This record gives sequence, C-alpha cells and structure tokens, in this order.
Amino acid sequence: MKEMLPLTEAFYYILIVLYEEPSHGYGIMQDTEKMSNGRVKIGAGTLYTALNTLLNKGLIDHYPVPEGTDSRRKMYAITETGEQVLEAEVTRLEELLQVGRQALITRKGEAVE
Amino acid sequence: MRQLNEQLEKRHRLVMAWNYEKGEQWLNELSGQGLHFKKGGLISNSFVRDESVRYTYRMDYQMGKEGEKLQEYLDLYQDAGWEYVSSFGLTWHYFRKEWQPGEEPQLYTDRESLVMLYKRLQQVFSIMMVVNLILMFVNIINLNTFFTEGLWTLGIPLLILYLSLFALLGFGCWKIQQKVKKLKLHI
Repeated sequence: MKEMLPLTEAFYYILIVLYEEPSHGYGIMQDTEKMSNGRVKIGAGTLYTALNTLLNKGLIDHYPVPEGTDSRRKMYAITETGEQVLEAEVTRLEELLQVGRQALITRKGEAVE
Repeated sequence: MRQLNEQLEKRHRLVMAWNYEKGEQWLNELSGQGLHFKKGGLISNSFVRDESVRYTYRMDYQMGKEGEKLQEYLDLYQDAGWEYVSSFGLTWHYFRKEWQPGEEPQLYTDRESLVMLYKRLQQVFSIMMVVNLILMFVNIINLNTFFTEGLWTLGIPLLILYLSLFALLGFGCWKIQQKVKKLKLHI
C-alpha cells in the first residue's frame, strides 16, 4: 500500500472524488476541475490510464450503474484499500504542510527581529 | 455528415511511432489549411477538404481494445470532448476536437501517464525485436540452401533485411528511452 505514495495529482483527485460517492469518468473530470478551481484538468488519456492502474491495484472497483441513468457510462467506487491509501496520503501531506508552514513562520519571525 | 459527396484527398508521409508527436503536428498544420484527416495508414493518409473548420488532432496508443473495451475507451474520450476519427492497426487511435485559439488540448496531462504510454510503445518494440531475431535464426537454419546456392541473390539480401529491421527497432527503442529519461529528469 505504501508504495502507492506519494499519489500523483490525478490519482489523488480521482480518489477524493470517489471517496465522496461513486462516479463515472466524466464526473471525475468535472469534479476535479471544480475542486481545484480550474487548476487541475485531467486529460482523457491520463484519466483512462489512471483508472486502469487504480483498478489493477485494487484501490477502486467497478460500481453497478443505477437504473434509469445513462448505462453507457461505467461507474467506479473507492475500495477499502483505496480509502486507506487516501487517508495515509492525507496524513503524509499534513506533515509536509506543517513542516513547511513552521519553516515559513520561523523565517518571518527572524526577519522582524 | 457535413457533405454527402465528400471527396477524399491523399497525402503521404511516413510517421515513426517514436516520433508520433511529429505526426500530430503535421495533421494539425494541414487542418489549419482546411485539410482534415480521416483515415491513415503507414504512409498513405486520407483527408477531407473543408475550409470552414479547423481541428486539433491527437494520437493515442492503446493495445488490445476490442468490442466493449474499445467502446468504453472511446466513450470516455468522447465525454472529455474528443471526437473519435479512426484507428490504424488496432493500436493507434486518432481523436480531434475543434481548434480554439491559444489552446493546446492534450490527452496526457501528467508525466507519469506519458511515461506509461512510452513504456507501452517500448514494450511492443522490444517484443518485435525478439520475434525478428527468432525469425532470422529460423530462416537461417531452415533455408540453408539459400545460403549455399543463392548466397548473393537471397541469403545476403535476406540477412540485410532482417538486420536493418532489427536496427530500426533498436533505434526506436533507444529514441523512446531518451524521451522517458527527459521526462523523468523533470520529476
């Protein structure tokens, strides 16, 4: 599981989107763009490659398409392993952020003296 | 269908798999001149003329996509705004979307997935190299009469053909490796 870390931005956003609820490729692309305020746009090739990798590693799984919706679009859901990887990544990022913020504050403090 | 009596025009160019971005560039330039790619082969390509539109073309390399898998793949790209144009040899797939000034839409938006694409290509090249080598040895063993009776008419030319193919594939492998290295240096 640890060998998946650090996650690429594409992997990270896919898992975040699916953590909330199962979705299809199109939904993942749109949600990612919305969540990142338009900064992260996952290209079709990158998304397709990432979905296949995540499926192979067991971080996500196929999800039955609800009745009455467009059955053409394959749906995906996060697995328990996927949730664990995502949680581990968030913890790792928190540590990075904390260290980084601390360093910036210390430097600013010195500048004032 | 925009026009029922679409006239296909031919243009020829040999695009090397390890340099497929050059192929894309060529298609995009022609589209800017009103010639839009429809179907391609190893060298010969068909185009439709229409001065009123312009497209951005992208090529993708995917192996073993048939039936439902292929549909699923094409649907995802379509959802992302890419119109499927055609395929060549079951592995090269051509997509396009309407050209927008100042935009350069890409299929691959991070280094990791691009490295994976290059590795897929490299894998095929390596397999072809091994197959090529096996065929060469099988031919040398089985057709030894060619080498004794027709050494200069068949044996040597055949050998040169195999070795050139081997060298070309090896060159491709090396070129792709350079690309992977360049991408990895930026990680």
